[in-house]
Amino acid sequence: MLQFILKRLLYAIPLLIGVSIIGFALMHLAPGGPLGVYTLNPTVSVQDIERIKVIYGLDQPTYIQYMRWAGNMLVGDWGNTFFGGRPVLIVILERVPATLLLAGLSLSIAILLGTGIGMLGAVQRYSIFDYLATTGAMFALSFPTFWFGLMAIFVFAVEMRWFPSGGMFELGEEGNVLDLLHHLVLPTVVLSLVIVATWSRYSRSGFLEVIGQDYIRTAHAKGLSNRLVITRHAFPNAAIPLIALLGVQMPFLFSGALVTETIFGWPGMGRLFVDALTMKEYPVLMGLMMFTAVFVIVGNLLADIGVAMVDPRIRLEG
Amino acid sequence: MGRSNKSGKTFTRRDFVKATGAAAGALTAATILPSRGNAAKADRIIIGHSQEPVQYNPLLYVNRGTENGPESAMFDALWDMNEKGQFVPNLATEVPSIENGRVSEDGKTWKIELKRDVKWHDDQPFTAKDVAFTYETIMDPKTAVRSRSGFDLIDGLKVVDDHNVEIVLKEPYTPFLWSWQEMHIVPMHILKDEPDINTSAFNSQPTGTGPFKFKSRTAGSHIVFERFEDYHRGAAKVKSLIQKTVPDTMVLYGQVKTGEVDYMMTSLPYDRWDEAAALPDRAFVELPLPWVQFIYFNCGKPQFADPKVRKALYMACEMQKSLDDIYLGRWKRTLSYLHTSHWAYNHDLKDETPNIELAAKMLDEAGWKVGADGIREKDGHKMKFTMSTTAGNTARQGCQALFQQNWKAIGVEMEINNMPGSVVWGEYTTKSQFDTLLVAWAPIVGMDPDYTARCHSQYIPAKHGQGSNYVQYENAEVDALLDKGAITVDRAERTKIYGEVQKILLDEVPFAPQGGVFGGFVMDKGLTGVKPNQYVTDSTWNIQDWSWS
Repeated sequence: MLQFILKRLLYAIPLLIGVSIIGFALMHLAPGGPLGVYTLNPTVSVQDIERIKVIYGLDQPTYIQYMRWAGNMLVGDWGNTFFGGRPVLIVILERVPATLLLAGLSLSIAILLGTGIGMLGAVQRYSIFDYLATTGAMFALSFPTFWFGLMAIFVFAVEMRWFPSGGMFELGEEGNVLDLLHHLVLPTVVLSLVIVATWSRYSRSGFLEVIGQDYIRTAHAKGLSNRLVITRHAFPNAAIPLIALLGVQMPFLFSGALVTETIFGWPGMGRLFVDALTMKEYPVLMGLMMFTAVFVIVGNLLADIGVAMVDPRIRLEG
Repeated sequence: MGRSNKSGKTFTRRDFVKATGAAAGALTAATILPSRGNAAKADRIIIGHSQEPVQYNPLLYVNRGTENGPESAMFDALWDMNEKGQFVPNLATEVPSIENGRVSEDGKTWKIELKRDVKWHDDQPFTAKDVAFTYETIMDPKTAVRSRSGFDLIDGLKVVDDHNVEIVLKEPYTPFLWSWQEMHIVPMHILKDEPDINTSAFNSQPTGTGPFKFKSRTAGSHIVFERFEDYHRGAAKVKSLIQKTVPDTMVLYGQVKTGEVDYMMTSLPYDRWDEAAALPDRAFVELPLPWVQFIYFNCGKPQFADPKVRKALYMACEMQKSLDDIYLGRWKRTLSYLHTSHWAYNHDLKDETPNIELAAKMLDEAGWKVGADGIREKDGHKMKFTMSTTAGNTARQGCQALFQQNWKAIGVEMEINNMPGSVVWGEYTTKSQFDTLLVAWAPIVGMDPDYTARCHSQYIPAKHGQGSNYVQYENAEVDALLDKGAITVDRAERTKIYGEVQKILLDEVPFAPQGGVFGGFVMDKGLTGVKPNQYVTDSTWNIQDWSWS
């Protein structure tokens, strides 16, 4: 097992280098650049822009810019933002907790609920519950997240005033857990909604497939109770593809939910990404990309280990 | 196995469900707290923006509007521009002029006297050295300074004593006052030892002389400023100022309605203006913003080289209709690069749009005849071109569609080619690669009518590497007028000069004016001292005077 993990981590190194090269190249190949925003300021002249270009090193050929960036990364220097000159690592890290909290909570709730709904729907196939769950999932999937977000704010924040319309804390209440929970309710519900919908569909079809297997019929024939058949025999087998899927969803915890974060003014990584993309903040974009890449790799590794633990047929060998 | 479980279990599944339900209920009850009473309201003002300021160093990059907030809260300039369009002293004792003897007769020597009782937020005294340091930092090639406009005309800046500075200009330049009004003074004692100002910690935790001190920033959420008790114009009326970031404009509007934000600094969508104006306890302000929206014609392209053609294209456009239908009549028609409410606006200009027949006739006269495919052509060139602006700006797309229709009617084919902001306003604009643009721009130096950088023939960046005459317009008469205007001090005389510039520009149409941009802002009716000011981009320019009634 340890050998397997080490080997996978070693494989990750060329992968990360490849990702960074492709990412850097694509970013620079895309037309436009960080200095476009200056043009809209009428007091900024072309001389000013040329001067700023030299200061940021943007006048250098792309490969030299990449080597500089990569060289700094190797010694742990993530660079500084173009606008304001703040260290990129700090700019990213200060957004991590907010996204981790919102995305993590939504994902956990959604997966528990989604798996439960899918399971029940599969067991009681074509029941009223199943139809309701299917229709509900279709409904949740057909409307864009921003619509749910705006409706939730309109109904529960502006009209009924039950919940705040955005942000993480009431001003002056930073660190108050109850206040944080109060602020978490709407964005979590909105974000979970879509994940529950997709997840319930995955788990429903997963269970349906497993329930039709011979060993389930055997278990029933042995005289086991329905509940035991489901929990002991069907669940672990149906969970295998779901665990793999979960691994793929891991980076979502960090890349964040762009739309939900924007609607609810949630100070997370999703918004940082949108802002950095608008301004073409290359150092921040590269930082976010590397961050996400690392978590895709780690997420998949964890998923593989998880699957191996659930499924005795799989052995992890170095 | 199941049986033994059943018999031995005292905590049944039903119990579990009950307990979970109770816990969830308690949690929900605890989190649905009634809206808190705002006891602290009298002591603080919350302003809301849809964008987040990324840095607060007044010399570096500025996202106009968003970063002006922290700047005017924490820093001071030598003088300010008030809501009547007059300069008023801030760090200086007096605004220099020839009349008060602080500007020499030839307009080249400026004597600036500084107030004596001014302190930085860390209690250090503010002196003439800070002014000199600010100037030197602006001119330092290593500083990613946002603009040197005006400062590059300084021949020498001398510190006479702790409270007097003397500046000698290479040539007289009347808008020079604006250069200093736009530039806040930074502290020498903090920044002088900084190896690289572009990455200095000062940029996110600055020290200024302004009415508020930096207290804290919560990334992506808000910034808290605290009153500076020793402020030289008297301590601010409220204890703290909070600048909040609410990315979605409609959510921000919701927050100003619920009282979570006191002043919404981002302009409200036009279709909400009537509703906002009728809100109880909320004041709604319509304000001309510095921008005027234009169609930019690239005079370097064969289709647009002839002024007559540009004029004809302009005449075909239903300008007023575009403002009425797309901007719901909120924007006001203007015929120059200034708002009609600007002191230098030429009121003799006449709106000749739309006049399709005349436009078609003018194109015929200019030699552009309708070809077999219905599109005009001359000397092998087709009257076909693209128009670009920021992709996703639906209002501008509406204008483009209208102009496209207008031009189609006279045998002109325009193709819409919109791109992301960072693309269209990059080298595509600055190197004059476009055919036409739809763009809103403010005057060059504050709200001064000087327009040298935009239409003087020596300021074409594609040819001379300087300026922002992206349309590549060349007219010797305009050059001479602009040169004269920049050194003329008398306002009546300047009105005449710039009136003439506006007349020629409307005759030759290097850029076709569409409308003056207006914004709609919502604030709590209880806020007093707020002075909407069309001459500046920072709505918080007089924040020290704001309070609750």
